Amino acid sequence: MNEEYLWDKSGEPDPEIQQLEQILGTLGYEPKPLDLSAEVQPRSRNRYLPLIAIAAMLLIALMAGALWLRVRSRTSPQLNNAKVESPKPQLVVPKVEDKKTNDILATASGKPSRDERSKVRQVRHPRILNASDMTASEREQALEAKEQLMIALRLTSEKLNLAHRKAQGASPTQIRNQHKVG
Amino acid sequence: MKLLFHTISRIAVISVLFVIATTITTHAQDPRIRLAHLDYLAKKASETVDVNIDERLIQLAAKLFNDKDEDEAKVKKLVNGLKGIYVKSFEFENENDYSLADVDSIRSQLREPAWSRLVNVTSKRDGVVEVYIALNGSDVLGLAVLSAEPKELTVVNIVGPVDLEKLAKLEGNLGIPDLGIEPTKHKTKNEQ
Repeated sequence: MNEEYLWDKSGEPDPEIQQLEQILGTLGYEPKPLDLSAEVQPRSRNRYLPLIAIAAMLLIALMAGALWLRVRSRTSPQLNNAKVESPKPQLVVPKVEDKKTNDILATASGKPSRDERSKVRQVRHPRILNASDMTASEREQALEAKEQLMIALRLTSEKLNLAHRKAQGASPTQIRNQHKVG
Repeated sequence: MKLLFHTISRIAVISVLFVIATTITTHAQDPRIRLAHLDYLAKKASETVDVNIDERLIQLAAKLFNDKDEDEAKVKKLVNGLKGIYVKSFEFENENDYSLADVDSIRSQLREPAWSRLVNVTSKRDGVVEVYIALNGSDVLGLAVLSAEPKELTVVNIVGPVDLEKLAKLEGNLGIPDLGIEPTKHKTKNEQ
């Protein structure tokens, strides 16, 4: 066997080797372009893809913002929501339109009775103080807001008072009596 | 098309997560508590007090306070700077007209670190009175009072820098009690 033929195909060829070459030669590499079917051929990248993605992101952000604002506006208080309701007709007392807010402030200590709450509810402030630049509707709103403010402060003070006295060990009976007197 | 779908999906998920995270963070710092879910109790209650005053209305109302009147001036000072006052109070004819879940729904919003409980008085006969305060460092962000008596449920939420010192000074005028909260005074060497 001529080893030179195996090394660099020089010298005398071996018939057995040649036969093997012929058999295996059909499986050798042939430099020709890859033949892919139309289904698996990659499409050209859409150049508008980043723009579309950015637009989608902005759209989602806008929608989320709008949703958040809507939820926020729903939960934000309106003047119409500021109300004191009492379904019992016997609790309503006549209007005390000529009563000054100072009177309410002076009698505000202690737990207000139902009648007192009704009084506060009905009070209309007769004076307009430092509010000459307000329109009629604003004035109306301000009066109502002030009433609600006073009710809220009174109720808050009542509960704080209750907590304070209970924390200091005063008996609940004493607390209730004080509210009734006040 | 598939790639576009994946990209948009990823962006959508990230955006939603971002919005959720922002909302949670904002709510965590907001000393306003949700009270709307208690509205159904109004049907059962014999008397309902529902106060919702935002910053604009507080400022509007403040214009009507007479600065020359000592009491009104004090109230005006107290409410100045507040961002909202929200109250829901229900009085019932019978006991147990409201549930423990109603109380817990409020209490669950008043947890640390946003809220600190100042006062907690529990009585089997008279129910619970709890006072909470929201702090950011030394700044007061809000106040909440939860009072659950057998026939009455009251929740008060004041949003904004509640000045406890001013609140204490109002005692006697508006029935606002002295909570015994004094501003911290640093003693000088001479005082010590």
